[in-house]
Amino acid sequence: MSELTSNLLPATNEDTCGPYFPIYFADPALEDLTRFDPGVVGQAAGTPIILRGRVLDRHGDLANGALLEFWQANAKGVYRTPATEGEDDVDPWFHGYGRLRTASGAYGYRTILPGAAPGRAPNITLTIFSDGINRIVTQIFFEGQTGNDTDPVLLSVGAEAPKLIAKHDGRTAGGCEVYLFDVVMAGPGETPFFDDLES
Amino acid sequence: MGKHGRVLGIGPTDNTSDQRTPRQPLRLIPEVARSSFVPVVPARYVTNPHEWDMTRTAPDRPRADGVPIEVTGRVCTASGRPVPNALLEIWSANLYGRYRHIEDHSGLRLDENHLGMGRVLTDDEGRYRFWAISPGAYLARPDIGRWRPKHIHMSISGGASRMITQMYFPDEPNNASDPMAILMGDAFERNIGKPRDPGGTDVEEGYDFDIVIGGRNATFFE
Ligand SMILES: [Fe+3]
Repeated sequence: MSELTSNLLPATNEDTCGPYFPIYFADPALEDLTRFDPGVVGQAAGTPIILRGRVLDRHGDLANGALLEFWQANAKGVYRTPATEGEDDVDPWFHGYGRLRTASGAYGYRTILPGAAPGRAPNITLTIFSDGINRIVTQIFFEGQTGNDTDPVLLSVGAEAPKLIAKHDGRTAGGCEVYLFDVVMAGPGETPFFDDLES
Repeated sequence: MGKHGRVLGIGPTDNTSDQRTPRQPLRLIPEVARSSFVPVVPARYVTNPHEWDMTRTAPDRPRADGVPIEVTGRVCTASGRPVPNALLEIWSANLYGRYRHIEDHSGLRLDENHLGMGRVLTDDEGRYRFWAISPGAYLARPDIGRWRPKHIHMSISGGASRMITQMYFPDEPNNASDPMAILMGDAFERNIGKPRDPGGTDVEEGYDFDIVIGGRNATFFE
């Protein structure tokens, strides 16, 4: 951003979320993208999954009070964006954006397994807000998916690719495939994070 | 831009920042994957009609302790395009520096007339408005006597624009020692609300706080 900024307004600075993001703002519909209001007919297409894991700090302790946001394509690999509006493969029952606040640092998020977008392996973009930091962003991939070997994001992190791949838990829960994904915010075993705002 | 993205700063005297800030430089996103990193938040109209007035817990309840203020502003991208129908989630401490949050164990005084949480939407021009109690500062590090200056937390989400930030107040003695303000350097000034005449409204102080969502995400679908 350094050179071509002359016509741009100076951005407001991001700031830490602090420890007290209100639980009052929780939206159950964003914590489970397979959920529908009682009495409503309609269901996101695809394989329901539960993504479970822990957000850990530099000392291996749980990062309490973190706000996690998820973004993904639908089962056919199509993102719901202004660019895909009206396309046949947009799922009317799936927008792909999720959010939850974890009190302890452990989380469970229910969604559908994303499809593969062209040239990509199935993945979910994860944004973390918390006390002490501004946003940090990475992508979560899924064990055993075709395309993992050739995905440009996984290739870009080289030997660290396994840190971005959720492992199947070997079981189902409530009709969902269970995947496990821990995030290490800092220090030994640190998860690769990406510069989504500027790169 | 070189081989790496930004190196994130660690807020001085902020233990949590030390525990949670990634040490590796951020990685650059391969160009073919760039669009996949841009969440598009669906329009969410989850506000209650009275939530714009955070100076009381309900329309028929008394005012909370402290100075009632009005905060207004415009949300736009760095290219100046307004962000309409964005959801602003706002939270702040009461006059005594206490959050009405189950995890705030500070022991500071609660105010039965203060909730400190509200949500408003931006209009077609990206404008927003809410009332709040001018919050108290609170002692964040009793061991070294460092205070958090008074501030109002704001989360903005709408389309490809997403930001969590804080509005600070001018000429506060604790602004200079705040870890995140130190990291912002001279740009900290952008996060300070600009005092203005509150006009005929039923508040004592007015502040303008325009929010510019920077970075490539916010402009991706323009
Ligand atoms: Fe705060």
